Amino acid sequence: MRSKTASLVAALAGLHLILLFAGFVAPYDPATQDRELPYAPPTRLHFEDATGFHLRPFIYASMQVLDGDQAGSYQEDRTRAYPVRFLVRGSSYKLLGLHGASVHLFGVAEPAKILIFGTDGYGRDEFSRVLFGGQISVAAGITATFIALLAGGIFGSVAGYYGRWIDESLMGVTELFLSLPWLYFLLGVRAFLPLHLSALRTFFLLTGVIGLIGWARPARLVRGIVLSSRNRNYVLAARGLGGSDFYILRRHIMPKALGVLITQAALLVPQYIAAEVTLSFFGLGVSEPVPSWGNMLSALEQYSVLVSYGWLLAPAGALIITSVLYGYLADALHSG
Amino acid sequence: MSYLAHRLIRAVLLLIGVSALCFLFTEMAPGTFFDEMRLNPQISPETISALRSRYGLDQPLLVRYGRWVKSALHADFGYSIAYNVPVAPLLWSRAKNTLLLTTTALALTWLISVPLGVRAASRRGGLLDKAVTLVSSFLVSVPELVIAVGLLAAAVRWRILRVGGMMSVDFEGLSTWGKLQDILFHLALPALILVLCETAVIVRHVRTSVLEVLDAPYVQAACGFGIRPGRVLFRHVLPVAANTAISLLGFSLAGLLSGSMLVEAVCGWPGLGPLMLEATLSRDLYLVIGGIMFSSLFAVGGGLIADIMLLALDPRIRREGSDAQ
Amino acid sequence: MKRIAGLTLLHVCLLAGACFAAKVIPEAAKPGEELARMADVSGRYGGHLTIGQRSEPKTLNPVMATDAVSREVIGRLMGDLIEINRSSQQTEPALAKSWKISSDGRTFTLQLRKGIRFSDGLPFDADDVVFSFGIYMDEAVDSPQRDLLIIDGKPITVTKVDQYTVRFVLPRPYAAAERLFDGLAMLPRHLLEKPYREGHFAQAWSLNVRTSEIAGLGPFRLKEYVPGQRIVVERNPFYWKVDGENQRLPYLDELVFLFVGTEDAQVMRFEAGETDIVSRLSSENYNLLAREKARIALQLADMGPSLEYNFLLFNLNDLGAKKLDEVAKKQAWFRDLKFRRAISAAVDRESIVNLVYGARGTALWGNVGPGNKLWINQAIPHPVRSIERARELLRSAGYKWNSAGQLLDASGQRVEFSIITSSSNSQRMKMATLLQDDLTHLGMQVHIVPLEFRALIDRVFQSFDYDAAIMALGGGDADPNPEMNVWAYSGTSHLWHLGETQPATDWERELDQLMQQQMVTLDYARRKKLYDRAQQLIAENLPFIFLGTPNILAGANSRVGNFHPAVLDPYTLWNADELYVRTPVLENAGVR
Repeated sequence: MRSKTASLVAALAGLHLILLFAGFVAPYDPATQDRELPYAPPTRLHFEDATGFHLRPFIYASMQVLDGDQAGSYQEDRTRAYPVRFLVRGSSYKLLGLHGASVHLFGVAEPAKILIFGTDGYGRDEFSRVLFGGQISVAAGITATFIALLAGGIFGSVAGYYGRWIDESLMGVTELFLSLPWLYFLLGVRAFLPLHLSALRTFFLLTGVIGLIGWARPARLVRGIVLSSRNRNYVLAARGLGGSDFYILRRHIMPKALGVLITQAALLVPQYIAAEVTLSFFGLGVSEPVPSWGNMLSALEQYSVLVSYGWLLAPAGALIITSVLYGYLADALHSG
Repeated sequence: MSYLAHRLIRAVLLLIGVSALCFLFTEMAPGTFFDEMRLNPQISPETISALRSRYGLDQPLLVRYGRWVKSALHADFGYSIAYNVPVAPLLWSRAKNTLLLTTTALALTWLISVPLGVRAASRRGGLLDKAVTLVSSFLVSVPELVIAVGLLAAAVRWRILRVGGMMSVDFEGLSTWGKLQDILFHLALPALILVLCETAVIVRHVRTSVLEVLDAPYVQAACGFGIRPGRVLFRHVLPVAANTAISLLGFSLAGLLSGSMLVEAVCGWPGLGPLMLEATLSRDLYLVIGGIMFSSLFAVGGGLIADIMLLALDPRIRREGSDAQ
Repeated sequence: MKRIAGLTLLHVCLLAGACFAAKVIPEAAKPGEELARMADVSGRYGGHLTIGQRSEPKTLNPVMATDAVSREVIGRLMGDLIEINRSSQQTEPALAKSWKISSDGRTFTLQLRKGIRFSDGLPFDADDVVFSFGIYMDEAVDSPQRDLLIIDGKPITVTKVDQYTVRFVLPRPYAAAERLFDGLAMLPRHLLEKPYREGHFAQAWSLNVRTSEIAGLGPFRLKEYVPGQRIVVERNPFYWKVDGENQRLPYLDELVFLFVGTEDAQVMRFEAGETDIVSRLSSENYNLLAREKARIALQLADMGPSLEYNFLLFNLNDLGAKKLDEVAKKQAWFRDLKFRRAISAAVDRESIVNLVYGARGTALWGNVGPGNKLWINQAIPHPVRSIERARELLRSAGYKWNSAGQLLDASGQRVEFSIITSSSNSQRMKMATLLQDDLTHLGMQVHIVPLEFRALIDRVFQSFDYDAAIMALGGGDADPNPEMNVWAYSGTSHLWHLGETQPATDWERELDQLMQQQMVTLDYARRKKLYDRAQQLIAENLPFIFLGTPNILAGANSRVGNFHPAVLDPYTLWNADELYVRTPVLENAGVR
């Protein structure tokens, strides 16, 4: 059990580190368009050529086929091989948002491009976008989940513990929240805010809105558990011994609800990351050209893209990996 | 009985609250139904404002709300601006189809999730358990729309299921058994999408709750006493683990009308979903408000059923009367 | 022996099938019935075609319907006095077999075809025409089509001359007035007079209407409506057009409108063979279907550039009353013609065509594109993209760049603004992203703000709280007259500066005069000269920075005959009466 948890934590830490240092790991700037390379498939890494096997992989430049019935597809330009180099100089970025730097983990000489996950419709490197996109998405997803669960946990516990009319009114409020036409609320919020929001403001808006709409479910779940826990013997005993409400809630009842909260967390983080897709429709999401897994996923809603350009599923893959890791972690935390 | 009376009062208050907030929210949102006509250079603004006042859209908020409440009490929920027919029959004609879809999906979801979750928890760390965690994580991470489009594409490519609508073009000519089959084939795809998305969430919760209980000392004791595993499961474990599941069931019931909007829109299922989606975006006010009121009935109902089940299943909650401060 | 038995069996089955299907047989021609003969149309009777629609029609009432989906269905059920042939873009006689225009261009005397009947068999004459126009122009009905019949604030008068002659008098001459008649459906007095008199006309002919209560002069009539799923229309046995062999049209027994939903679902269902026609494909879906051509029998049509024009629009409205200081400050840049010219020089139109329209589109530098062959001004220059020229223009206007390459105006303010666009239109969103990148080459910082459609309309028409927007107009008709409200200074679609009580600039004054003049000039050559000058003014002064237009792309199953999509709406169904099914069944009879 221990080693399993340890390896999980290591994997997650590694993932987060990669995202944190996206500028270094990603070979290109996520906003740089290359209009000659729209929807280019991932570059193939080669190890063997006419002269034999090489330890250092190399690539060929991608060229778009312009005429004929293969128009729009890509082929490799085999006239020149570009070896993959490590620790190269490339576009500049801000390390951890503070210090300027321009060294990248790997890259190839111009004019070729190493496109691990291919490009999107504007010729932007998908791999770089997934890394940078993860920064804002994972952070927003976790923060929104935290807000929703904190609010839900508190309201649910209070409702379940005190019962009677507090319970009734709070549960009434959750029912209200579940029924309301949030579309209009979001439209109203959008109309009220200035047209352009800075990245930070967008972040808070995203997490705030999702948290605001999302607390109702966890609240109800927690309340159910608290209802059944509050009259247990040990609680009565603790009360008899003079424990305050707050103490009892914190020490005896909340741990019972922890299981639900952790499971909810593992489920909500990916859901909230994906929820940004809906928010973008109202103009409340992360706006171009900043990438986020949410706004990259919205491109996949088109059938033609889903079918023709499978490499654009990369953010979905990244999201799945993150959610699986968090899921396993939640599991391990819960039992360990 | 007073419990039910309480809940009835709460339901009425909720409906009032929802209707008021609905009107408020729709007022907050910019744009009106006739905005699309503004883009047409051949329609004059006078016509547009004449149409607006014909439907009472230029009246102040409180006047409109008051009028609506008055007619709602006479079971008249207004007219749809787009369709020019009364709201209530329009909603009901589609709600029937939605309920057919969602109740089927609900039944299937729970029939699958509960045994699956229990099984995965009881053989912890086994193959099934790992598969359940993996697949549910996968399903939860992919947005519902992408899953729906993906499955629709697969169904169309491989011609497995009837896609789109609820009945084939030659429906009327089929025998009764043929009609049933036709509807079932059309139901299969949207129901599948719903079941996949819902099961992923519920099976995880069931699994966690059962796991928690399995770790409890009294269960170990029961096993130690030699009680058969089946009996331990049904008599001692499930009733305790059911708490979260019941709350979730309440949510499922609450979402019977509103939870399938996206799936219906993508698969062309003629339910409330596509109607409400379009009405909401086109600001067909009274249709939207009518639809939301209808859905909130289900929200109230779902909560009520969940609470009753909680009370029934967990005697510890019932004890509240004597011991609460 | 086997062959004869097989043939007999086949015929028995066909007969049985025909009985079961209860198909509507076209009526034999009655003496005295003046039918319209379409000499070069031929086809075969039988079969049905299915077409997918993006959403459900809302009503079958031609007077009240405003959405495109409803109009698509209604158009197949109703007939007009004069039609615009979508292929040639010229008017053709329809229910009116001929007309005379007075020398001052104000009086139109239309001769109706004699002996025509509605789809329920009852006769059509001048009384129905007068009744129909009465409804369209009745203020109490609030039909959006009323505005078409009001010229200069005064309504057109309609009088019955005799049973088959109607006279229309316009308050003043109006160019191409016959085009107005297309889309104004002729209503049956015998069915609609009662609801009209009783005051509930708006509720007449909703989707739940009984088939006995609705009748029209179009090629089809209503057969069945299944809520949320489909509308089925069947052949109108009394339809007044015949083909080259004097066979009464339409060829199809039935036309089925299936409510399919999103464009993606439409494409998927089309691929699966559930629908036979799909119109207005995006280039990605078109290319997808083109790749499938080997697998499925398809015919795809790329009809060339559409008439719509996509543009970047700057907010030049008077903001005095509203407190929008931020926007007001930026208007100093937007009002500068050199600023707009610089932006137009920096736009990468080639990439818009390639990346947004998948090479199935055309770049635009004016409001009339190559799709409108009759009216395009070929002399308008198409300057190649040049960042240097853009920079030169900005420099000469007093802008400068700081050390970081950011553009500053004369007062040292950083040039930064937002572009709003509709989040539901992925093509314009893409254009916005490309534009944003283009303008970084000029040192401008541009933010893209996707907005929900109606929220966008509210900002552009109502609150004026925006900097710039990417929108599209046009596409309705090739003739310049429908665009009056865009270019007239007081026009309601004069988007960049709404609510002008007098022309804000000299060129707008000249443009307004030109447009007013061309509206009353009846001679095409003179009108063309006026409109050419108007286009030139627009292209030089850039109230809109024109970006591009998509091609009209449509597809149909191979078995659809007479599939001739057009560049004008309705793209594939405008000749629904001529569509037929190339059936393989009858062709192989007895060959085994």
